[in-house]
Amino acid sequence: MEFEGNHTGSHSLDEAVEHLKEAEVHLEEAREEEAKAERDVKEAIHEIEEASRHEEVEVHVVHVNELEKATFKEKLNATLQQVWDKSYKELKLAPKPKDVFQTAGAQPKPLTGYLHLTLEQAREKKVIDSFHFGIASATGGA
Amino acid sequence: MTQIVPPLPVVDVVRGIASLEEDIPRVLAFLGKSTFEELGWQRPNKSSLIVPLQGTINGVTEQYVLRLGFSAYRRWPPSAQFVNPETLAYKHPVDQYHLPMLSSPECHVHASYTSTNGKTMQLICCSATQEFYDAAHPVEPDLMWREQNTFYTTIAAIQKAMVMHYGGRFAKV
Repeated sequence: MEFEGNHTGSHSLDEAVEHLKEAEVHLEEAREEEAKAERDVKEAIHEIEEASRHEEVEVHVVHVNELEKATFKEKLNATLQQVWDKSYKELKLAPKPKDVFQTAGAQPKPLTGYLHLTLEQAREKKVIDSFHFGIASATGGA
Repeated sequence: MTQIVPPLPVVDVVRGIASLEEDIPRVLAFLGKSTFEELGWQRPNKSSLIVPLQGTINGVTEQYVLRLGFSAYRRWPPSAQFVNPETLAYKHPVDQYHLPMLSSPECHVHASYTSTNGKTMQLICCSATQEFYDAAHPVEPDLMWREQNTFYTTIAAIQKAMVMHYGGRFAKV
């Protein structure tokens, strides 16, 4: 906006008022543009989240008692329970009532309380740090 | 669930060693290794295996040595004893400091346990150890050792307790 400050009198005041009105219109348009841009950003983030929910990842599972391994694709929105169930099919083993689903590796952690979480949620909540899992048959002792 | 007292283990060292020899390549392949050394394990003699384990509590990590014995393997699980790393043996009570305190429904360490059949021993009370059966401990049939299992079942069961139920070392005596 231009504003010629060296003019005086009602004519220049009228011009200034006119400029102000134009500026207010521009400001309103700019705000609408900004609001639209914000909506676009939110939609884009939502699209990314939706896409990632359907994204497939590679899952690795071992059965520590049977010494069997399998690798398969699974959607990020699959729950740990679904991954556990699918693991038996991939390992070609029958589930046993006392089996436990756990993280893989030298420091395995049971996932019993987290089976309702999706792979994505489990990763976000740091319940798992990779898609490597293990199945172990429970033992008795006290 | 009804518990039963399983039969006592029958020692058959020749069969135990043969079964161990059979299982070693399977376990190594499963773990993606070609030698025990890569895992930090040792085999001091034909019927024993030494496996280092660790436990962490309050940010402090402590090292332990597990000795597996294969005198009744694989009809029964390997013997499993935490041992003094210097002697690779366990003498109660002087060596109890080399035992981790593990308390879980699946695996519980007793520095000295006297069973109903009158035997006194270090007991890693877990149905994947031979001592559990030596002690004539009652167990749910579903949780009993199966001959298809390997010694890695024993290591994995104890390892799991070390992660989830480790309570530090037993006191020095």
